[in-house]
Amino acid sequence: MKILLIEDDTQTSDYVANGMRERGHVVDHAANGRDGLFRATGGGFDIMIIDRMLPAVDGLTIVKTMRGAGIKTPVLLLTTLGGINDRVDGLEAGADDYLTKPFAFAELLARINALSRRPPIVDDSTVLRAGDLEMNRLKRTVTRGGKRIELQPQEFKLLEYLMHNAGQVVTRTMLLENVWDFHFDPRTSVVETHISRLRAKIDRDFDEEMIHTVRGSGYTLGIAG
Amino acid sequence: MLFAIVYWITLGALDRQRSDSVQREMQVLSDLYRERDADSVVRAIQLRVVDLRPPRRYYLLQDASGVRIAGNLPPMKPAEGEVELPVSSLFPDRVGKPDDPLDAYPVAALGIRLENGGFLLVGENQYRTIKAREAIIRAFSWGIMITVLLAAGGGMVLGVGFLRRIEEINRTTRSIMGGDLSQRVPARGGGTEMDQLALNLNAMLDRIQMLMESVKRVSDDIAHDLRTPLSRLRHQLESARSKMVPGEDAVIEQSIAELDSILATFSALLRIAQIETGARKAAFSCVDLAQIVTTVTEAYAPVAEDRGQRLEAMIVHASPIHGDRELLMQLVANLIENPIHHCPAGVTITAGLRQDEDATVLYVADTGPGIPAPERDKVLRRFYRLEASRTTPGNGLGLSIVKAIADLHGASVQLSDNQPGLQVAIRFPAVAERGAPRKPAT
Repeated sequence: MKILLIEDDTQTSDYVANGMRERGHVVDHAANGRDGLFRATGGGFDIMIIDRMLPAVDGLTIVKTMRGAGIKTPVLLLTTLGGINDRVDGLEAGADDYLTKPFAFAELLARINALSRRPPIVDDSTVLRAGDLEMNRLKRTVTRGGKRIELQPQEFKLLEYLMHNAGQVVTRTMLLENVWDFHFDPRTSVVETHISRLRAKIDRDFDEEMIHTVRGSGYTLGIAG
Repeated sequence: MLFAIVYWITLGALDRQRSDSVQREMQVLSDLYRERDADSVVRAIQLRVVDLRPPRRYYLLQDASGVRIAGNLPPMKPAEGEVELPVSSLFPDRVGKPDDPLDAYPVAALGIRLENGGFLLVGENQYRTIKAREAIIRAFSWGIMITVLLAAGGGMVLGVGFLRRIEEINRTTRSIMGGDLSQRVPARGGGTEMDQLALNLNAMLDRIQMLMESVKRVSDDIAHDLRTPLSRLRHQLESARSKMVPGEDAVIEQSIAELDSILATFSALLRIAQIETGARKAAFSCVDLAQIVTTVTEAYAPVAEDRGQRLEAMIVHASPIHGDRELLMQLVANLIENPIHHCPAGVTITAGLRQDEDATVLYVADTGPGIPAPERDKVLRRFYRLEASRTTPGNGLGLSIVKAIADLHGASVQLSDNQPGLQVAIRFPAVAERGAPRKPAT
């Protein structure tokens, strides 16, 4: 994957660039907003990681300008915790996701992967499939190997998100934000509890597990292998 | 004291004046007797006794055998020198009850023996002295009464003003103890000692507030600056773990968990600091609390169930409020997490919403062990943890975040006895549409 990283803080940029290169990605780094905007509009990237606070031209302006120019490359915005309403502002400007600094590398990686494989338009297909698991979003039914599985509304929502990102790692934080709309870190094992209930319904009576725990990162849905 | 001095001096002077005038009169009459004869004295006395102006004078001239020759007094036993005649002795036929009120006073008299064996007595009654004494006593009585009234009235006025200022200071102190450090004692700008006190108190409060803010800033700065190296450390531990054989990395696993809890504490501190700036108010919108309570309760219900607890929502109609949805979700979540962590299995936790006349009330109640009354206010403090919950996970910031979010929304946090258990209620004052403060009904 070819990644454009626009970040003025050398500690963060080294941390991100080295980590991505270790995983075989190509990283192009711009240390200020003007340079970053120039490269961003040049195109040719699979994904962009842009810091919100930048010298010369700030991150939001880069995203707005890019989107104005019709460039649809997925953008992940990096924000600091002290920032007010960064998330809403960022998403309004046209960013696809955001991450608050400092972050665990696994979190960044999971989000980058999710973004790079996310279809550019909202996936509104009625039926989602993963292996022998099938979900009809209109009828709100789930079957595995043709066998009907009854889910609570929240379990349905959780499975929907997992199936939508099938084969990719989704982190705890991603689940909290997208399934429950929690933009804070609960002190209680909300995600773990719901995952284990969903597992009991999806996997218990079947030979092959669909929901896998990825150590240190999160969960992934799909047939292992 | 003054009264006594005035009394004695005035009465003494009047007494002296009277005895002087009696003496002069006696001198005149005795001179007349010596230089002329007894008849001229008789005529002089007869002329004088018709003068009825006060102070009334009394005369008596008797011959050697004790028979009255002239005068307006009954005959008496001759006695030389100064004598005092009581009213009863003046007019024995009228038993001391004279027709003329001017005669109703004792008489101070001077008597001398004449050369022919006769007796001459001149007296003047004490009308003036007695009247003067009455006047002085009356004057002083009024004086004392008016002084006492003025003193009491003035004292009361001063006292009420003084008490009012003390009450103002008390009120300010109470609201400062309630947590609002920005309160100040009203100063009137006069130069009185009370104004000085108010100014000094305010200066002291400014200083305390400054110190509090710098302490808070330091802790926020530490939280902020340590987050980056700590998360780098976490990343390094993660990299190290990925190169190890599963099962041999228990120490690293544990270290990462510890780091996560430190980072969570710092995040919570910074979150509070961010909320307290009030900047999020700009993004307030109309929020449906019922939907928030339902969502959060549904998210936590299985967690509670796994711990053998019951979590249910109890929503009575409530009007929407003006606020920040994300923060309110966190508020409800924190309120629900507390009983889940601190209560044993078997309790029922209720997350509820009700509409009071003047407020929308969001509450979370449990049937657990509760919090003793003296501890209730303390749990809102940062890092405060009850003795009983020191061993359970948590950083003592959950309710501090609740308090910060409630403050941002102008809501109050009340902890009360749920009988049994604890109830935490967040009261959002009622607002009119568009979030404008409610105007009094017209």
